[in-house]
Amino acid sequence: MNKLALVTTLGLTLVFAAGCANKSVVRYGDATAVETTDINFGSTDLQKVASEMTDSLLLSPVVGTLTQNTRPVMFVERLKNKTSEHIDTESITDSISTKLLRSGKFRFVDMGRVEAAREQLKFQHDGGMVDPNKALQFGRQIGAQYMLYGNLSSIVKSNKDKSDVYYKFTLRLMDLESGLVEWADETEIRKTKAKESVGW
Amino acid sequence: MLNSKNMTSNYQKIINSIGVMLLSVFVLVGCVNSKPPVTAGTGTSSMVQGDDFSKHLEVHNTELATKLFISDVKSRKSNDLLEINLTLTSRYKKSQNLQFHFNWFDEEGFIVEPAKTPWKTIKLHGQQSITLRGLAPNTKVNNFSVYVRDIPEKAYRY
Repeated sequence: MNKLALVTTLGLTLVFAAGCANKSVVRYGDATAVETTDINFGSTDLQKVASEMTDSLLLSPVVGTLTQNTRPVMFVERLKNKTSEHIDTESITDSISTKLLRSGKFRFVDMGRVEAAREQLKFQHDGGMVDPNKALQFGRQIGAQYMLYGNLSSIVKSNKDKSDVYYKFTLRLMDLESGLVEWADETEIRKTKAKESVGW
Repeated sequence: MLNSKNMTSNYQKIINSIGVMLLSVFVLVGCVNSKPPVTAGTGTSSMVQGDDFSKHLEVHNTELATKLFISDVKSRKSNDLLEINLTLTSRYKKSQNLQFHFNWFDEEGFIVEPAKTPWKTIKLHGQQSITLRGLAPNTKVNNFSVYVRDIPEKAYRY
């Protein structure tokens, strides 16, 4: 009788253990929800940095005056990554410039695509395929009036039960003609990871 | 003879109880993580600038609503963009890790830039009161709604 109970218990244990074992399931998640998989720079940090910087820039009184009757032309210089991690800073600047462009307050020139545009214009003029009367003219592009640039730095600390990471992101807007910094702001992120006892 | 029989049955009892314990541990540990987290929260329905927010308040998670409340939803136009301020007050003595999100609508009530406004994190300390800010993504926005919910912290297998 006891043996039977033992066998049943073990059998059930196996069944349950197997039933709950690592099944891998694929699900779609919410791309904008808060993600806390680990302590490294993640999607939530990227979205927070981009949206806070854009909000701050769009709300600043200086920008209010700059954009009153015109849509100033900007270009984004790369962000310097001074953190200890590999971070795709172009992805952050892409998010910021897309948000600013979509706000309808600014226009952008893309320095990363200058060569491609030159190639296309060269083709229109020298390729012999395009009607010369309809080819786009050289020297008609509009130059940027403002430059966006910034830094991303981090301080990482950890001991045996806790790790703490602090990110500071600084963004500045420079008037290219006068060299004056018209606007600047920084945003900070603090993340901690600590061991927690298992609980339900 | 009798003694040794007693001992064997004792051993078996011990083994049986270990089996039962293992079983319960497997059931609890193995299956507890696969439950989806609670993502209901509290927020407002779509409201126009200047509306009385108390008419728009929506509570979908009464447990969360006992721990915090939204008050004082204000809006104005700054640089032609709709700016929202709202106060979030904790009624709970412990810290809470929360996320909040704005939805933006134009004059006719159509959603603007859907699924592009990220959920932002807030650490709300015990009994603390903080002001959250939201800024419309473009000048067409006239209506908005806001939602606050917990950050699911327990490991959830995606």
